[in-house]
Amino acid sequence: MTVSRRDFLRLTAGASAVAMLGQLGQSAALADGTSSYRAMVGVFLFGGADNWNMIVPTDTRYAAYATGRSALLALPQASLTALPDVPFGLHPSFAPLLPAWTEGAMSAVLNVGTLFQPLTKAQYVASPNLRPLALMSHADQQNEWQGLRMRDPNLDGFMGRAADREAPLAVPDLISLGGSTLAVIGKSSSPLILPSNGSLVRNGYNAAATDTPTVTRQAANTAFADATGLGTPTTVTSTEISGGYAMALTTNAIISAATSTVDQYFKNPTTGATLTSDVSRQLLRVARMIEARGTLGHSRQTFFVSQGGYDTHSNQVDAASTTTGTQAGLYADLAQALAGFYNAMKALGLGDNVTAFTMSDFGRTFRANAQRGSDHAWGNNHIVVGGAVKNRTVFGAYPDVTLGGNQDVDTNGRWIPTTAVEEYIGAVATWYGVAPADLPYVFPNYATWTTAPRGLLPLFG
Amino acid sequence: MATRHTRAAALLSVTATLAACSGGGSSPTVTPTATAPAPVVVVTTGDAVRLAKQATFGPTQALADHIAAAGTSAWLDEQFAASGSNYNDLVTRAVARNFCTAMVPAVATCNRDYLSSTPVAMEFYAHAVGNGDQLRQRVAFALSQIIVASDFEVHSTAGLAGFDQLLLDNAFGNYRTILRMVTLNAYMGDYLDMVDSAKAAPNENYARELMQLFSTGINQLNADGSLKVDASGAPIPNYTAADVHDIARALTGWTYARLAGAAANDGNQVDYSKPMVMNPAQFDGTAKSFLGTAVAAGATQDANIDAVVDAVFANASTPAFVSKFLIQQLVMSNPSAAYVGRVSAVFANNGAGVRGDLKAVIRAILTDADARGVAKTGASDGKLKEPVLFSLALARVLGAKSDGYVFVTRDLGTGEQPFRSPSVFNFYPPDYPLPLGGGLVSPPTKLMTASTILARHNLAYDWTVSGDNRSEFAPVASITGATGTQLDLSPWEALTDPAKLVDAIDLILLNNTMTSQQRTALLGAITAITDPVPATQAHKRAQTALYIVAASPQFQVDR
Repeated sequence: MTVSRRDFLRLTAGASAVAMLGQLGQSAALADGTSSYRAMVGVFLFGGADNWNMIVPTDTRYAAYATGRSALLALPQASLTALPDVPFGLHPSFAPLLPAWTEGAMSAVLNVGTLFQPLTKAQYVASPNLRPLALMSHADQQNEWQGLRMRDPNLDGFMGRAADREAPLAVPDLISLGGSTLAVIGKSSSPLILPSNGSLVRNGYNAAATDTPTVTRQAANTAFADATGLGTPTTVTSTEISGGYAMALTTNAIISAATSTVDQYFKNPTTGATLTSDVSRQLLRVARMIEARGTLGHSRQTFFVSQGGYDTHSNQVDAASTTTGTQAGLYADLAQALAGFYNAMKALGLGDNVTAFTMSDFGRTFRANAQRGSDHAWGNNHIVVGGAVKNRTVFGAYPDVTLGGNQDVDTNGRWIPTTAVEEYIGAVATWYGVAPADLPYVFPNYATWTTAPRGLLPLFG
Repeated sequence: MATRHTRAAALLSVTATLAACSGGGSSPTVTPTATAPAPVVVVTTGDAVRLAKQATFGPTQALADHIAAAGTSAWLDEQFAASGSNYNDLVTRAVARNFCTAMVPAVATCNRDYLSSTPVAMEFYAHAVGNGDQLRQRVAFALSQIIVASDFEVHSTAGLAGFDQLLLDNAFGNYRTILRMVTLNAYMGDYLDMVDSAKAAPNENYARELMQLFSTGINQLNADGSLKVDASGAPIPNYTAADVHDIARALTGWTYARLAGAAANDGNQVDYSKPMVMNPAQFDGTAKSFLGTAVAAGATQDANIDAVVDAVFANASTPAFVSKFLIQQLVMSNPSAAYVGRVSAVFANNGAGVRGDLKAVIRAILTDADARGVAKTGASDGKLKEPVLFSLALARVLGAKSDGYVFVTRDLGTGEQPFRSPSVFNFYPPDYPLPLGGGLVSPPTKLMTASTILARHNLAYDWTVSGDNRSEFAPVASITGATGTQLDLSPWEALTDPAKLVDAIDLILLNNTMTSQQRTALLGAITAITDPVPATQAHKRAQTALYIVAASPQFQVDR
């Protein structure tokens, strides 16, 4: 890999930041004077969620929405779950989150996306070098959302870099239930990656064994953990395997206990049935790890959660109704899981201490294709759930949704974002407790987005 | 650093004693050289074992001996000529989408047998464990990860079998042939929405991924796979949104073939096992322009398909993009630019003026100096076994014969279900960073989590130390013709001298990279097992020794 000039400058800046690390110490814990517990939970909607149907204006702008999306994708105004105090409504599948909104524990962010710098359509057209690289590409846009380098290779992610700035713990407080992904890779820290399902048992292993065959066998296991001199991929893998064994011993009791006090909240609000979606199982285990924060010695926890299936090029909605279909099912799973999670946090007395927020590859074209689907686009809408957010507020600006208009990069409704990912996630990370001195490390393009008139969204307060 | 135990040459063995050389099981067309007139002593080297790791689903003593006796080039020739693994019995299972729901009375196994990847995956595993056309299968499996269609979204056993058959048939053919056949494949057509894409609002999904994932890659590459950059140091995209849109228009007007007798608009009676057919009413026949290619108004649908396939196949980035991917699949995660350059030159021209000759490309990959030789242990060397390769390499070491079902019950836990990638982006991206790896990539490491690490360990433990009388090896009653799985450790049990057992394991599992400390520890674990019945002792010792090494990082990462 070649190091670009831009990267070289960052490496230099990073070196001085590393020199300061000794003084900063446990960045996150120290930044918050009360040292009270906080957690951030990022939920990544893989595939590029069409969140132009998640939140919809209910004032005079509804007409432009309906025109732009056409009958193929537009949600009927009467079907929307109206949000008190703001001129917006949610996709009907989000009804389970209405109580959170009403309690002042939910907000939305409009037209947020990857940006290298603030960008007008004229600049977009004239200067390709001012655009994030590889717009509309799943893999690249996922990496830019998670790595936050818009024009450089992404080899680590914002959650991993935040963890780099915390003192190492016996059990990492950066935990993914959504698999291994760029967001949780740090430069010096290692995440804990837990399954959404099943237990963590190492067959045949018994630390207390005294019989000679088992003792010598386990001694041989240990001898073979030495992968010195076989190349970095082997040594890293050896460390990962040993770490996996150790984490299994410490976390299995938490994630695979028969019951916990938080389980009861992961129910379908209408039928009372236990939620079974993967995203609900992930959030249930997040809740269990939060419940066990004392045992784990965690004063901060960062979680990565995922939900897949949002690449709805076709059959996003049913032919008979735009309020049912693939998208409605995914949204229902998401909303029920997030509502259950929020209720579980309240029950733990942590409603104000935990913030969940959504991310996704990109938004989708406002214009529908003929198969009742939408294609890859750019700016998108997201939601934040947690008692600490500002009451009943929608942040950011809803775009002029004229196809081919001054916010569309072509004629299909691919909106140039007006809020940068950094302005959105940076606000969450700051609330979480990443120290101001560490923010440029965690967010490589931080200065661009914190120089007036730009700035972090005032999500909290 | 530990002292590495070295031996210049490892085991001596005699080819004349070998039973099944090339794959360890039924070998449709490969005839091993089992009738040599006199015993010929060959030295099986770490290099022969390495080649087996790169070009097959895992070395066995017999296979490594055979490679050593034949020599690399002759063995490759033998493999290029080998064929036979096929899904012929599944391709003919094409049924209507509502075949199972319409069944009265309902049959519980209908979805599994007709509308899922399970039968395809079973045959895939069964062929990989035992059939002789190992390289063809291995290359087809690699191709299935660059050109991805998945049961995660499209459920048709016959369609999926046909799709993978296409890759098997053309594994040593031409890449352009594959691109064209895939473009008109109905299973892919559904997966990436090209089927029924209409001129009024063309679907861009297939058009985009055809370029980004199957051929050119998103950015322009030099011939050695390195990124081309502009004056400002920025990558240069291979295509624009306008290219995507015009290619999408060129690909409109195709629909499913229908099952016999069904109307052309029947939504249930679609035949995923046949190529898509034209639906001229939905074809956009106006002029297009993409990737420097102009398609005139009025050009036929076939001409439009050819224009698209030719444009992406001829793209200057395609040789390096595909070549690097195949090297990462077969040999190493971090190939040098020079290695990629040597292979991509062969992709661009096989020496006879032919572009995209996969046989020549595979030969170039496997005979390259960076692929051959004894174990490579430089800082960037190494390739983590993805879960499918881990389970199959273990099974072959254990002398397994299998109908494949036991693998299907394990592969969700280990994190990789063949033909069920969670998205068109495969199970992992080719640039997935090796965590704390100093800038190296390790694509399969994306699948290493606390649970998959344990699932891999438990697979090794369960099939060795705990491998006797396992219910998971029994034939499943609901599967017609099920034979279950049988292990045969007798070649290992025959090595009753613990030192010889360790030598053999070091060679076949680790291509001679065991340290002296590890060797001592392994000998200790072997000799700690005693049993008054010699056969039982030999069996348990082999199980324990194979478990310890199979679970080790050294076995899990190939070098």
